[in-house]
Amino acid sequence: MGRFKSKNRKPFVKQIAKKTPTVDHVTGDKIPKSLVFSRGKISGPLKQLQMDLRKLMLPYTALKLKESKRNKLKDFVSLANGMMVTHFLILSKTDSAAYLKVAKMKHGPTLTFKIHKYSLAADIAQSQLRPRCPPDLFKNPPLIVLSGFGTGEEHLKLTTFIFQNIFPAIDINTVKLSSCQRIVLLNYDKETKLIDFRHYSIRLQPVGVSRRIRKFVQNHQVPDLRSLQDVSDFVTKAGYGSESEGDDEAATVNLSSDIGRVNRASMKSAVKLQEIGPRMTLQLVKIEEGLCTGGLLYNESGNVDAKKLENEEENEQESDEEMDTDDEEELEIEDEEEQEIEEED
Amino acid sequence: MAEESVSEATKYFRKRKMEHRKKGGKGKKKQKGAPFSEKRVKIDNKMKKLFEKRARDYNSDNEDDNDGEPSPVTRAKRTAYGKDKPKSYGKEKPTSYGRDKSTSYRKEEEDFDEEWADDGEEDLNEEIEISEDEDGEVQPGITKFIDGCNAFRLAFKKIQKKSASDDILGPVLSAHKKLVAEKLAEEDVERKVKGEAKKEKHLIREKGHEKPANFLDTYEKSLIAVATKGVVKLFNAVNKAQHAQKGLNPSRAKDEKVIKKRRREVFFSELGKAPSQTTVSKAGACNFLEDEGPAWAPLRDNYMLTNPKLKDWDKNPDTTVDDDVRMPADSDSSDDE
Repeated sequence: MGRFKSKNRKPFVKQIAKKTPTVDHVTGDKIPKSLVFSRGKISGPLKQLQMDLRKLMLPYTALKLKESKRNKLKDFVSLANGMMVTHFLILSKTDSAAYLKVAKMKHGPTLTFKIHKYSLAADIAQSQLRPRCPPDLFKNPPLIVLSGFGTGEEHLKLTTFIFQNIFPAIDINTVKLSSCQRIVLLNYDKETKLIDFRHYSIRLQPVGVSRRIRKFVQNHQVPDLRSLQDVSDFVTKAGYGSESEGDDEAATVNLSSDIGRVNRASMKSAVKLQEIGPRMTLQLVKIEEGLCTGGLLYNESGNVDAKKLENEEENEQESDEEMDTDDEEELEIEDEEEQEIEEED
Repeated sequence: MAEESVSEATKYFRKRKMEHRKKGGKGKKKQKGAPFSEKRVKIDNKMKKLFEKRARDYNSDNEDDNDGEPSPVTRAKRTAYGKDKPKSYGKEKPTSYGRDKSTSYRKEEEDFDEEWADDGEEDLNEEIEISEDEDGEVQPGITKFIDGCNAFRLAFKKIQKKSASDDILGPVLSAHKKLVAEKLAEEDVERKVKGEAKKEKHLIREKGHEKPANFLDTYEKSLIAVATKGVVKLFNAVNKAQHAQKGLNPSRAKDEKVIKKRRREVFFSELGKAPSQTTVSKAGACNFLEDEGPAWAPLRDNYMLTNPKLKDWDKNPDTTVDDDVRMPADSDSSDDE
């Protein structure tokens, strides 16, 4: 019986996970790693957003992290300890809005952002005429640009610090430019106090070369010369449109080394960005001292001192939650609701 | 109902016709000869004219308004009814017309009646005789044939008008119809409520989710410009830093000394024109001098040790925070070595 049954069964092979390095081999910096997961029930589009965020955090993140309802924060913490994870990105949702928590392992701090608006990577790809996704786009960590955070406020400093360390640092002496394929932009608007979160892909194009020649070099294809009188026309005749875009002086760089076949170190190259999503508009709601616990360092409504007593009460509550893990979820949501009521006041 | 009867009638006519055709010319002759059969078989022009004339007479007699000429359908109907149920009608409904009027009407119709079936005429006569027997005494529940016919005609017309316009449910008993309508309305309401709930749920789920526009508005463009600025700054810094070590591999021990030497040269040469430099390259340059350990990280003393600065981030906040655009490299790279 057993003989016939096991015909299709494959022998169990324990998958040996490729061990990702915890430190950069060249510079010796510790590589920050992150986990992106959700707490509580989140809706379909938010699940997509979570997936997009995981892709954004690649390569040092768990792309296929499976979570179940019963997973508590504790589980993730223990997992993170084993895997040397340094950052948590936690998505949650209430009836009023979705929230993104960015926490540093192990002892915090935790930034809580309210997601005012978001667009998925798929939405952005849909809105573009030619969405771009080269195969090795997600093989290297993105650069990060923080803009407008230099207002001198403490909480903004902390935010910049956290976000700078969420991706591996770049050593400009050793970095390969070909590995810089993506960029994450965080732009702080002083008036609205909102943070715009964008994710772009970086493309380099040689300047001063006509489109035809560029395509010819890139594509390895025999060009269509039917409409031309002479071969020289192919070189000398200007192409259509979009030539002027690349002429922007501010966006041109000299490369230190060749990138691909087209971009030579000897030539000037134009930097072109194309959005790949996701896109988010965030609002910093609060900063907690610990990992999703602890006293408030910053509250959106401002008066931290007045609420210190309340916070301490909350802390006690939260510590209770940790003990009594079953009710944690609901209490957390309630906490958030309380927070919102406070905000409205 | 009316339509059905029409179709039936036409079918009937057609059947008859077919039969006659089979018989051939003889049959046709027969048809012409017998007024009885002719009446049944088809409505020819002669009949039509006759009917129309009769209808006109009707209109002139009664004050009822008949808009439009009576359709052939009703005509056929009337003949059928007139033939089949004269007795019952005559007995049931009360008379409203005087006897002399009815008789005059009868006289007018005589030319038409001649062409009718013999038995039909007999029936008429009989009926009229009955009414004459009563001699003007108006009895409840008794109608003359003509009045009954007229009433039926009116009723039928009413029904025709109604059923044609707005009856969706088809021919149903009125009580039943109400029930069905109620049920349908209830279902409608339920569906509406359900749909609204669903919509609300969907709205909650999709809260904050926005589809981007197909074009880049000025704000997005400005964001891209900011990001581009950052990238350009980084690339330029990298270019400046790596220009010195072209063709050498920083992780190889052989190249290490050469690189260090070149870097130092670059640093000192740049010290001369220091004010023109950006903060980025400064941070990079500082790196070169402090960099005393081996170039390859695992050979350094503090390899794999965590950055001490990360722990007390709040005690001495970064000095370079206040410049607008930054790379993660700046502050960090100056920190760690």
